[in-house]
Amino acid sequence: MEYFLHILILIGIYTILSISLNLLAGYTGILSVAHAAFYGVGAYVAALMALKLHTPFPLNLFLAIGAATLFGAVVGIPSLRIKDDYFVIATFAFQIITFSLLNNLVSFTGGPMGLPGIPQPVIFGFTVSGHIPFLILTFIFCVLTFWIANRIVASPFGRVLKAIREDEVFAQACGKDVSAYKVTIFMIGAGLAAIAGVLYATYISFIDPTSFTVMESIFIISIVIIGGAGNLWGSVVGAAVLVTLPELLRFVGLPNSVAANIRQILYGGLLVAFMLWRPRGFIGEYAFGRGNKAEGSRQKAA
Amino acid sequence: MFNQLLLNSLIVASVYTLVAVSFAIIYSTTRFFHFAHAAVLTAGAYFAYLFHILFGLPLVISIGLAVIFSALLGSLMELCIYRPLRKTNASAMVLLLVSLGIYIVLQNMISMIFGDDTKSIRTGDVVEGINILGARITPIQIFIICSGILLVILVTVFLKRTKTGKAMRAVANDPELADISGINSSRVFLRTFALGSALAGVAGILVALDVDMTPTMGMNALLMGVVAVIIGGAGSIPGVALGALLLALAQNFGVWKISSQWQDTIAFVILLIFLLFRPEGFLGRKVKKATI
Amino acid sequence: MKTGTLLSIENLNKHFDGIKALDDFSCSVGRGEILGLIGPNGAGKSTLFNVVTGFIPRDSGAVYLKGQNITGKPPYKITQGGIARTFQNLRLLRQMTVLENVLLSYKNQPGERLGNIFLKRKKSDEVEAVNGVLAMLLLSQAGISSKAHDMASDLSYGEQKLLSVVCCLASGAELLLLDEPVSGLNPVMIDTILALIKKLPEESKTVILIEHNMDAVAEVCSRVIAMDAGQKICEGTPAEVRNDPRVIESYLD
Repeated sequence: MEYFLHILILIGIYTILSISLNLLAGYTGILSVAHAAFYGVGAYVAALMALKLHTPFPLNLFLAIGAATLFGAVVGIPSLRIKDDYFVIATFAFQIITFSLLNNLVSFTGGPMGLPGIPQPVIFGFTVSGHIPFLILTFIFCVLTFWIANRIVASPFGRVLKAIREDEVFAQACGKDVSAYKVTIFMIGAGLAAIAGVLYATYISFIDPTSFTVMESIFIISIVIIGGAGNLWGSVVGAAVLVTLPELLRFVGLPNSVAANIRQILYGGLLVAFMLWRPRGFIGEYAFGRGNKAEGSRQKAA
Repeated sequence: MFNQLLLNSLIVASVYTLVAVSFAIIYSTTRFFHFAHAAVLTAGAYFAYLFHILFGLPLVISIGLAVIFSALLGSLMELCIYRPLRKTNASAMVLLLVSLGIYIVLQNMISMIFGDDTKSIRTGDVVEGINILGARITPIQIFIICSGILLVILVTVFLKRTKTGKAMRAVANDPELADISGINSSRVFLRTFALGSALAGVAGILVALDVDMTPTMGMNALLMGVVAVIIGGAGSIPGVALGALLLALAQNFGVWKISSQWQDTIAFVILLIFLLFRPEGFLGRKVKKATI
Repeated sequence: MKTGTLLSIENLNKHFDGIKALDDFSCSVGRGEILGLIGPNGAGKSTLFNVVTGFIPRDSGAVYLKGQNITGKPPYKITQGGIARTFQNLRLLRQMTVLENVLLSYKNQPGERLGNIFLKRKKSDEVEAVNGVLAMLLLSQAGISSKAHDMASDLSYGEQKLLSVVCCLASGAELLLLDEPVSGLNPVMIDTILALIKKLPEESKTVILIEHNMDAVAEVCSRVIAMDAGQKICEGTPAEVRNDPRVIESYLD
């Protein structure tokens, strides 16, 4: 039972992560490999505040979101000037640099040893300890994140994002400041990812840089695409599937030593398979990267 | 000290150059970042391990077989995954993403089959190294530098003089014109993958001969190769070599002053600077975008 | 600058790869005019549109809109300033509905600002509703209101061209740059679109249109400029330009 609740909590955390990335990648067409960096910033800021300054959970959450959003601007503003696949490389670079910072600034972040003993959240005097209270907390944040994302995508703002996804030039010609929209949604995605980071840090009570690597970013991308880009429910489905599937294999009797490898092969393989045969994912509205004739690959000017 | 750093830079630059050239050939022709190349690099080293250590074949034969199998691996990726994807008009971004997926699958398979610990194909004793101008260099490292230079020269000649090589350059320079001129792009792509992957296999083996192998060695090497390609300029082999050298110098002299743990950071900060201000690299051409 | 001049283009120069796409090109457009722009392929007509609307930077020269220098401004600012355009390769959002395409084109939508979505929701919704009504009105004037909720990709080529003009109208721009609005269409659709264009001056709109169809140009344009190799080679009424020997020669080269 505890195990089952644990899985549900993880699904919740990854739902928040994939919704936040879906806003960027699924709705705006911005493929970023740096999302784990914002997840990590959220986790580390909240953890450090709690451990070093003993500040209350709501404040830590708020500051974690703020820090990640700001960091989203630091990464997003220069990167979004860069075009197409070079942009992805830039986010790749930022992701690795962030990992190096978390890993090497030992006096600050604990380095590879990480930060143990992160206290549980205390909200209005109530300590969230035990799986069921934590599940409720995670669920509340899932709903909140979903609601925020839904407001955004259902609004005229969301319409501009979808326009950017399909044809940036057309969006510009309609009078939309495309750069501003991209940076804004990038920052929002970063801030929401931080929520997942805070939840993760306070749930596991221990964090280290290995949870926030490029591989983690790719895992989150896989969830978005396999679940379905451009559909918020797709992020829920994707998280449920990709978190549960490797766990199911545990029951088939696979040795623990290869469990991590199998997990990665699973989502890596599914990513390739879905992009080949079902880019729309399970229930996506947007077949990721397909047939964008208006965009086209690099060619010489006519 | 200075001489040692210089020499180390040279050794590292040779590897980077080979990796970068093998990657650049594929990138400039097919126009996307084939990250699974890192897996081919790793596979090259592990194929050599398989043949030499596990099957007991002589080293030279093992290396030859490993290079062939690397070429096959890369070609398979092109045939089975990239080509079908390209037919659906998938963008360069999508191909990049898929290549990451392929890399993850392959790297983990290597981990599962061979284990995560360091494996070696060096069966001789540890050699102390020769002294040149106050710096130490082992025979293998000399071999690496020579192989690197030789292979790059061979590739340059191949691209300039042979029919296939010229076809590759034509497709890289102007895909539409090449198409109209009757060049079969699909065939050129396949050959490009075969050649690039073979070179990657060689690079992996060279690295393994110097510092042994781990399942993640490929990605580390490839990332440096990608940086070299971007700062040097994809369309130009001398540019790529220059980029590799500069990167190696920056890293080696950089960690002299700052701790070696920042090696990656230095590389990626340099990369970002180039992406922002000079994406075509030192010697590359500016690639024009589609019309408005 | 004459009064009544809406757009003034002065000595624009632009080259690509050593080829001069715009060669010291100047012209002005008065309010309420429908100006035709003709010339063989590669004459620089679309390049002119791209430079004026900020999508391509110029080498030298200036563009003035209502007396304001808009040279080098980003495209979205120029649209906001009062110029709307269509594209030669018919850019539209095909994965969105016809109505959504039009709704996107409206300016100053409170719902497009992040703060308003959460804090001023009622106002955003109200303006969105009003725009919805206005959009349906425009679509019915164009004759495609029945397709409002269809995907733009489901429209015929001609209907898509109509839609792109409707989007320009929705933006409220005073100056419309239409790039080959009737090329590739059947006669009925050509008449529909030309009729729409002809009425625009009555609605205080000014038009510059690029066309190869000389009959269409003669029907709606009060003035025509002929281009070749980036230069203006002739200017006058449709009849004058049509029969000018330099113009005829430029098409034969």
